[in-house]
Amino acid sequence: MKTDMSIDFLLRVFKEYRDNDAIIWHDQVFSYKWLLDRVEYWSDRLLLEEVNPGTIVSIEADFSPNSVALFLSLLHGGNVVVPLATAQDTQRDDHMKLAQIEVAIHLKDNDEVSFFRTGVAANHKLLQRLKKSSTPGLVLFTSGSTGKSKAIVHDMLRILDKFKVRRNCLRMITFLLFDHIGGINTMLYILSNGGCMVTVRNRQPDTVLATVEQHQVELLPTSPTFMNLILISEAYKRHNLSSLRKITYGTEPMPETTLNRFHKLLPDIELLQTYGLSEIGILRSKSRKSGSSWMKIGGEGMSTRVINGRLQIKANSAMLGYLNAPSPVTADGWFDTGDAVEIDGEWIKVLGRESEIINVGGQKVFPAEVESAIQQMVGVAEVSVYGESNPITGSIVCATINPVGSVDPKAFGTEVRRYCSDRLPRYMVPMRIQVTDKSQHNTRYKKIRSRPAE
Amino acid sequence: MEINGEILSALYEAVDETNLLLPENQQLTKDPDAALFGPDSALDSIGLVSFIIEAESTLSQALGKAITLADERALSRSHSPFRTLGTLVQYVEEQTANGCYKDPRAS
Repeated sequence: MKTDMSIDFLLRVFKEYRDNDAIIWHDQVFSYKWLLDRVEYWSDRLLLEEVNPGTIVSIEADFSPNSVALFLSLLHGGNVVVPLATAQDTQRDDHMKLAQIEVAIHLKDNDEVSFFRTGVAANHKLLQRLKKSSTPGLVLFTSGSTGKSKAIVHDMLRILDKFKVRRNCLRMITFLLFDHIGGINTMLYILSNGGCMVTVRNRQPDTVLATVEQHQVELLPTSPTFMNLILISEAYKRHNLSSLRKITYGTEPMPETTLNRFHKLLPDIELLQTYGLSEIGILRSKSRKSGSSWMKIGGEGMSTRVINGRLQIKANSAMLGYLNAPSPVTADGWFDTGDAVEIDGEWIKVLGRESEIINVGGQKVFPAEVESAIQQMVGVAEVSVYGESNPITGSIVCATINPVGSVDPKAFGTEVRRYCSDRLPRYMVPMRIQVTDKSQHNTRYKKIRSRPAE
Repeated sequence: MEINGEILSALYEAVDETNLLLPENQQLTKDPDAALFGPDSALDSIGLVSFIIEAESTLSQALGKAITLADERALSRSHSPFRTLGTLVQYVEEQTANGCYKDPRAS
């Protein structure tokens, strides 16, 4: 039967590595033998709870021994899994309704599990399609930062496929969240190679780097915003990072200055850019060199092309569709990423979301480029750049800045603008600058680019 | 016509601030009759928008009202209020008298 095959390859890895560390959680070590037994335990328990194949099941949790085992058991049983991160409380109810959750599983901080039957019978045709064949599925949500959150349906067999090829066995931190394509990718990468999943209690720079030191972590998959926080907090000075060989970063464009500074301060850590989307999965990528924002993306079952400066992708692991929006895929199977890119032969550079481009009197401004310039200024901790409509030039460039220490907002604003004037074309210099002490990233350590509430 | 000193000095303050960032050959003069934007002015659209945003801020502070200068009302006039600092003073005075600007604390 197809469903029995779905995670068999993972279970074989677990057997092979049975004595190795699989998960470190709250400083306790769980072996692959434990995980193997636990997947079996939950598979039996799911049947007892009458979670039959084809059920739409949410798991509200962060990465933990039970959330990982349950996730795998649900796939094994041919269910559709909807991971919900506990940090995302505000959207939780909307997401549950949208995904037509039939059984909700909640994991407490102490990893205790509870089941709840919602009384919903999922009838969306994409979910029905998976249910009928008991094909394991996955529902993820777009962030909804630019409108309503969209529910993405994946056929898990297609996502799992690329993990059948063995790669490096590494100790990695699950930094990206449980309900994020990057988080799922990290988990599957670790488990399919017999690596060790090191979980973190929170995602503060000092906690994460202390965990790197304590558990000899080799790879940290994270975001540019978090890398900047490592620099601002100077957390890298307080922990021994000699075990850390690589940092991968994706989810948003990387300001060149953050990248260069990071590379200069921590030259022994290889910095690699990743590229992925909730709708497509994570692509295999190769940076031109460590610390370069040029990369090659693709891999088996993936093709890319650039049309009108925008990246399009065709992938075997692409989603089946959205639950609440029309399919954005072209008739011949290409997905428009909405990312504006530059090309140099086979190398590409992501400039930013086309929807975030600020058009000032016909000139295109990428927020990341302006942020990169401002970030170099002494006294700037974090900066986000966005557009504001203007009747004369269409849009103007605005910036919100977290200064280091306290400053006179007006004088500081002028100073920033003069700094930019010396380094950027005039149309790129922010016309309006807000100074704030509020943080400018979301719980996923991704930059929020909008005008803050007064 | 008499020029409103309070409004003019707020605009002068904006001129000083804007000049800090303007190229040498586009500097604004503190004179009510000097061209601000138009054929006789060296100011380009970016310079104008930059000045307007600065002026909105200094005027709002001086008059205690939220002042918007760049809007349809100003741009659709047959005689642009942005010809000189003097015409801009007149425009702001007129709009204030007509109750077009609101005290932000009142809302």
